[in-house]
Amino acid sequence: MRDSDVLDNNPHISRSALEAIHGQVFGWALSRTDYDRSAAEDLVQQAYIELLTGKARFDRRSSLKTFVFSVVQNLARSRYRRIASRLRLLQTAGHGAAEGLEQPVEPQQNTAVWRAVQALPQRQRDIVELVFCRDMTVESASRVMGVSTGTGRVHYDRAKKALRLTLADHGESFDD
Amino acid sequence: MTDSDTRLQEAVGKALAAAERLPAPEFDTVWAAAGARAGIARKRGLLLIGSAAVAAVAAIAFVFHTPAGGEWRYVDRYQLLETTGWSAPSDSLLPDREFDIYQSVPVLIESTETYGGTLL
Repeated sequence: MRDSDVLDNNPHISRSALEAIHGQVFGWALSRTDYDRSAAEDLVQQAYIELLTGKARFDRRSSLKTFVFSVVQNLARSRYRRIASRLRLLQTAGHGAAEGLEQPVEPQQNTAVWRAVQALPQRQRDIVELVFCRDMTVESASRVMGVSTGTGRVHYDRAKKALRLTLADHGESFDD
Repeated sequence: MTDSDTRLQEAVGKALAAAERLPAPEFDTVWAAAGARAGIARKRGLLLIGSAAVAAVAAIAFVFHTPAGGEWRYVDRYQLLETTGWSAPSDSLLPDREFDIYQSVPVLIESTETYGGTLL
């Protein structure tokens, strides 16, 4: 880690280390924003701001990737809380459908596997994505999701069972 | 991880990769934008702290301020009624050069000098 590379307000993070995981962070942000690219880019920017200003401080209790994923996850949660409260306000005001609010954008993707993953409950979907697609252990994934490892394991097992069942109905077997 | 887990992982991985088919935006671009936004937020914070400090100093200065002439004092109503020599505070705004209307004006009016047989 070059000295000039280290962030002023986050001495355990370097710019080059962030650059190395940028693609994965963006992928995670994409899935947090229902595949809305501009919202995902904004989310990643916001996460980097948190790191630059030291609001989110990395203390090496996990890997950098796990930490940055957690920052993105927390920001996405608060973002959705804001959107949800705006939606409630608009509905209360009698606007019906909330105009101008971001609508989830489904990726151009219609495979049985994708639909089965999308049909999973949120927590199960998250852990499957983190473990299967973001190369994380169940422990790290649980940390990102803000749940205990035991809870994470339960979500992981249920997700796998649900996926196998759904895909078996579509003639795709993933049993031993 | 069992074989079936591995196959399931591959299938989910492929499905997700297809969903994320476009590459991530350049790190440098996102990083620069984040740096700029962090800079603006920092400046805004400093401005807010600066304004609060100036307001606090102004408030303290106002509370502890005494006029150049000494202590603040109020006009004493009785003292005011017992004297004819009161001068309004606004007198301080008059120019230094003054004339006494009783001493100076009669001299001007009662001049004995003539001009063309007529008193000035």
